[in-house]
Amino acid sequence: MGNIEELIAKLAQDTAAVKPAPHPYMLSLKWVGAAAAYLAVSLAVSGLRPGLMEKFHEPWFAAEIAALLGIFIATSVSAALLAFPDLHQKRGAAFAPALTFALLLLVIFFAWNADSPPAPLPVHSFECTTDITLISLLPAAWTFYAMRQYASTHYHLAGGIALLSAFSVGALWLRLHEINDSIIHLIQWHYLPMLVFGLIGLWLGKAVLKW
Amino acid sequence: MTDNAGNLEALMRQSLAGDQRAYASLLQETSRLLRPFLAKRLSFTNEVDDLLQEILISIHKARHTYDGNRPYKPWVYAIARFRLQDYLRAHYSDHLRDAIELSEVEESLPEHVTETGMSYESISGEVQKLPEKQAAILRLMHQEGYTAKEVAKKMGMNESAVKVAAHRAYKILRNKLER
Repeated sequence: MGNIEELIAKLAQDTAAVKPAPHPYMLSLKWVGAAAAYLAVSLAVSGLRPGLMEKFHEPWFAAEIAALLGIFIATSVSAALLAFPDLHQKRGAAFAPALTFALLLLVIFFAWNADSPPAPLPVHSFECTTDITLISLLPAAWTFYAMRQYASTHYHLAGGIALLSAFSVGALWLRLHEINDSIIHLIQWHYLPMLVFGLIGLWLGKAVLKW
Repeated sequence: MTDNAGNLEALMRQSLAGDQRAYASLLQETSRLLRPFLAKRLSFTNEVDDLLQEILISIHKARHTYDGNRPYKPWVYAIARFRLQDYLRAHYSDHLRDAIELSEVEESLPEHVTETGMSYESISGEVQKLPEKQAAILRLMHQEGYTAKEVAKKMGMNESAVKVAAHRAYKILRNKLER
């Protein structure tokens, strides 16, 4: 008991005015803005896929891009909330990425059904995963660095969501850049690896976000 | 100082502005709030004190993540639960690392683990010097006459763990008494 009193006295003595962290919604807005700028620059450098505007007239392509955007925004908001010990008391919003992933699954399912006759498989395969990974590295590093400034009590989940957020940027970039309409290829080399990286993020979260 | 929620939030706002007295009061109120929460989940007073200190340091480190505009208690309990889980995880993994298979010690265990040739009273001084958990197990088994199974139930352990802890305590006592 005496030790507790001593500790309290010491902590009180050490304290000075502290600037509270920004609201997680503002934080995620900053992250989304930075990632959007990065995506725009990446697309400007690598180039948009030819006929992108016409492609947006295809409902399942437009829905897929919308679902990916939804994942990107929901994971950014969720990562910001998960950086706070109490999830800023917005538990529902922190788990919103589950809904957006369900939406993407649904869109992929319908796009697959509508893909008749099936679009030919592209000649490349793992290169897509490599490209997505390379594009995602910077947003991933940025998100982890930013999250470390706070105090996550759900570091596994926070790590997973942070990587998914970064990889959604990579996946969006490739979808807007690459000429490819094979759903099988998308599942195999875009979205499944993205989920695998989400799982790796669970482990990385413990290594990087533990405090 | 009452510990109603409004006070805690006001104290935290003052603390974030650099008011050291408000911060000391807040931490005192917080430790009063958390002590029963921890005591309910941990067996020993020293564990509660150790963990409470860790939680207070964590609150200090993470105080910038509280803005004073949302309820204080969910924030502080989130940190407390996080540190408690960490503590329990480390505690149980240590136990697993140190665990001895019962079959390894079976041969050296006395026929009846609750019966020894020496009276508990004659060595109670040495028993008090044992780690708290081992001393409690020996006291329950030899002074109060509980079986290993009953002690296990009472202390929230399994019977094998009680026997192993008792065995370790006997070993320590034997070494001490043989000197």
